Amino acid sequence: MTLLARPDAPPAVSDRRRNTPDRVLIGASVILALMGLLMIYSATRVGLERNNLPASFSMERQMIFVAAGFILVAVFSFVDYRELRHLAHIIYGGMVLSLSAVFLFPAVKGAQRWYDFGIFQLQPSEFSKTACLLTLAAILARPAARLEWQRILQALMVMVVPAALIFLQPDLGTMLIFAFLLMVLLFGAGITARQALVVSGVGLAMGIAVFQFGLLRSYQLDRIRVLFNPTLDPTGIGWNLRQSILAVGSGQLTGKGLFQGQQTNFQYVPEQGTDFIFTAVGEQLGFVGGILVIAAFLVLVWRLLVIAGAARDRFGALLAMGIASIFAFHVLVNIGMTIGIMPVTGLPLPFMSAGGSSFLNFSICIGIANSIWLRRSPVPGETIHS
Amino acid sequence: MKFGARLTILATVFLAMFGVVGIRLWFVQVAEGAQSAEIVEEQTWVQIRSEPARGDIFDRNGVMVVTSRFVPRLVVDRRFIDPDEKDALIQKLSGLLGVPAADIEAGYEAAGLNGRFPVTEISTDTAYRINEQLSALPGVSIEKLPQRVYLAGPTAAHVVGHLGLPDEADLEERPELDLNARIGKLGVERVYDELLQGTAGYSELRLNRQSEVLEESEPVNPIQGASLYLTIDLRLQEMVELALESGLFLANEVKDEDRANGQEVNHDAFRAAAVVLDVTNGEILALASVPDFDPSLFVGGVDAATFSALNESKAFNNLVVAGLYPPASTFKAVTYVAFQEENLPLPADLPQVAPADGLVHCNGTLRLPGFEEGSQQIFHDWYTGDKGWLDIHEAFEQSCNIFFWSIALGTWREYKLTDQESIIQTWARSLGFGERTGIDLTGEAGGIVPDRALFQEWKEYQLENPDAPARLEPSRLDLAEGPFLGGDLMNFAIGQGELTSTPLQVAQAYGMLVNGGHSFTPHVVSRALNRDGSIAYQSPSGFGEQVALSPEVHASLLSDMNRVVTSGTAAAAFRDFGSTLDRVGGKTGTGQTIANNDNHAWFVGAGPLDSPRWVVAVLIEEGGSGGRVAAPVARHIMQYLMGENPTPIVEGAAAD
Repeated sequence: MTLLARPDAPPAVSDRRRNTPDRVLIGASVILALMGLLMIYSATRVGLERNNLPASFSMERQMIFVAAGFILVAVFSFVDYRELRHLAHIIYGGMVLSLSAVFLFPAVKGAQRWYDFGIFQLQPSEFSKTACLLTLAAILARPAARLEWQRILQALMVMVVPAALIFLQPDLGTMLIFAFLLMVLLFGAGITARQALVVSGVGLAMGIAVFQFGLLRSYQLDRIRVLFNPTLDPTGIGWNLRQSILAVGSGQLTGKGLFQGQQTNFQYVPEQGTDFIFTAVGEQLGFVGGILVIAAFLVLVWRLLVIAGAARDRFGALLAMGIASIFAFHVLVNIGMTIGIMPVTGLPLPFMSAGGSSFLNFSICIGIANSIWLRRSPVPGETIHS
Repeated sequence: MKFGARLTILATVFLAMFGVVGIRLWFVQVAEGAQSAEIVEEQTWVQIRSEPARGDIFDRNGVMVVTSRFVPRLVVDRRFIDPDEKDALIQKLSGLLGVPAADIEAGYEAAGLNGRFPVTEISTDTAYRINEQLSALPGVSIEKLPQRVYLAGPTAAHVVGHLGLPDEADLEERPELDLNARIGKLGVERVYDELLQGTAGYSELRLNRQSEVLEESEPVNPIQGASLYLTIDLRLQEMVELALESGLFLANEVKDEDRANGQEVNHDAFRAAAVVLDVTNGEILALASVPDFDPSLFVGGVDAATFSALNESKAFNNLVVAGLYPPASTFKAVTYVAFQEENLPLPADLPQVAPADGLVHCNGTLRLPGFEEGSQQIFHDWYTGDKGWLDIHEAFEQSCNIFFWSIALGTWREYKLTDQESIIQTWARSLGFGERTGIDLTGEAGGIVPDRALFQEWKEYQLENPDAPARLEPSRLDLAEGPFLGGDLMNFAIGQGELTSTPLQVAQAYGMLVNGGHSFTPHVVSRALNRDGSIAYQSPSGFGEQVALSPEVHASLLSDMNRVVTSGTAAAAFRDFGSTLDRVGGKTGTGQTIANNDNHAWFVGAGPLDSPRWVVAVLIEEGGSGGRVAAPVARHIMQYLMGENPTPIVEGAAAD
């Protein structure tokens, strides 16, 4: 009946098939990662050469992460995701610790978000998304007839701590992901309409409190304001946003061709190798290229939801659902930002934006999802070997 | 709800959101893409303007008066400057150039977001010194920019004018002006600014975000502005200016003498004006106004103290076109012509007027009996003693006020409250009084020709605006026949009262009278030529409407003007004129000022009378008697024009 429910697949499936990874999921990820390498090269080569660095410097760096990512996908596919459930509280504790320790390191670009290891800056907030998801899924997957208030409150607390720490860094985009994750997981865990209403009310009150007590930094407000009035501050954020939209727009239907396009090559777009990588896609490959990238992400999200439907237990189902949400949220906010329908936040485009931490984290997510897929529940008549 | 159903809902939401992003992408890239592509293409190109040199200015003989040279200047272009590095750059420049940082900052702000501005003129040495450091100074360049050179210095300053930065009014009128470009502010520099300005050149640069040049278009060279050919004869101009200075010196010598003799004298004279006009076409051969200024002061921007000192002395006022004075006895030529052309009546009831013979007894006072209340009014003429019974020709020669008062009185008595009442005013207007001549110079004034209608207007204004300064005495407001009186017409007939005119208007009126009544537009520019030799501008040539001046009256005026310099009020001043004395003529004038006893000295001369060619008008403000002070100046100039050897400017006889 539905695309996402457990497939009414053949009555009998061999063990070999059971041990086959989700080819579409892995395939889409690989395509996006390779596409990312190409676009990173295209978007950074001019700037690198300007600074007397090899044109392929950023791409080569990213290739290391891609390789490391492959290993992580393999490792997390091999590890039974159910083991993670038992480790959830340790992982959560480590995550909170690392998010706190970030403040001991010097700020980079006005934010304390990174561990600087010289050649590599680790960004714990990227991993915290997965860590938080694991914990939320562990709490909400406990067998019960219905979702009790107590667990909702527990989940809320689990979400608020890292979200607050990340808010202090400050990283508005990542913080919003936590809220989104919580919403999706509560929904998946069977929250009732009445409960949802109360939780939304609490969330709304917290949101208003954040605005009212001026907890948002002025630049964060500006990024929201500028969405509604792009002529605001044409040299600052408004200017960046406008250049981004112009870059994507000027690609028109078929783009200016790979490595072509002055918006990218003349560096009119800020952060074009990382957060604004999609502008390079839009300008050089046009609407066709852009929509293909979006389609690849859609396939990815679709597969993740299929995995959620096929998971053998509630934990796996919620985990896959959360992973799908993380991907969807990143893609929607990131691409939406470059075309002016989402505020400018620092959320990367999965697998495509240059950056180690996010790439590795997304790899872990795919690895876990694949692990859930490999250990999915049997179709009727099938023998379980696990 | 089962988990599967919830998953479906979530999937639907995600699909919808991806759909929104996809639609927006379509909108951005396909619907609006072409427009964005255009903006993207344009925004990478930056235009660099190259200033054109202003056109040269030549005198009528091709002598260069004004030109432009190229001097190295330090130019700052904001578009290439990172806002964060602005302050450091300004400090650096300030140190390098020795210009206060605040000045550079002011220029920076004024240049606008996309602007370029020249900081200062620099010496070649400095240019070399800075040139070595240019790579460390983004947005700074050394460019050879055109600069005005006034080869004649202050000579003909009021004709040439000067440059300045555009003010608000200029920008409103010509919004395309560059805030930092100097434009003409006065004289022909202003009137012909758009011809002189030239066409800017430009080159286009393609820049990346870091303002590094990626591509450069073929530069389009600037085109120098059109060359202006003045009608001014620079040698004559220099001579006229010197003569005016001598005239002022003479006026003050005479005043000192008068002071010594116990006469009441208030001010030293320091303002004067002179104009020489070609009566065959309206070309101005010379035009001088004292005090003047040196246009070179404005080349790099004048300092405030110098400017306000000059401004206070009204050095920028071109008295020839902007100075309003009673034309005084020079105006008698108008009354003279009207009297003869219109057969104006002389009053029959005065013992000293014989209308049948056309004679008036010029004995120094005109007594008017027969006022309704029985009073008698006495008009004093400028001279004392008895000049005897004079006809109109002798009256003109001797500048006898009583004769001209009689003309006005006769006209008033005959035509009061009829169409003919303003017949002398009509003549004055047809000769150009009361209206701007339309000369191609800045600041021209129009003057006033008083008549019943004007006084009525003033009266109405005064009644409506009781707080405004009153032009008419309050007693006049209640008069049954209106505020304009016979006495006003009498004052008018001798060029006094409310009548005011510029020296140029007086010269123009005489020009028309001596050329047989042909009107013309006085002008200082004959033509402008583009760089390729084509004509950019040609002055209106030829005569306009003709005033009906009969040959008899024309001839008698010319001969009476000659009598003025041979036996009349200017005879003393023209004593040593030379052999061509019988070919020149003129008229003296002494304008009464309301404020004090220092009269304005006038002389208008014309020649050669056998074939009138030029008119000279000289005015020495508060210089005293026209015959004594202005006539010698005019004589000196006229000697030059007649090819005589100009003799020194010495005192003539005191005469009106």
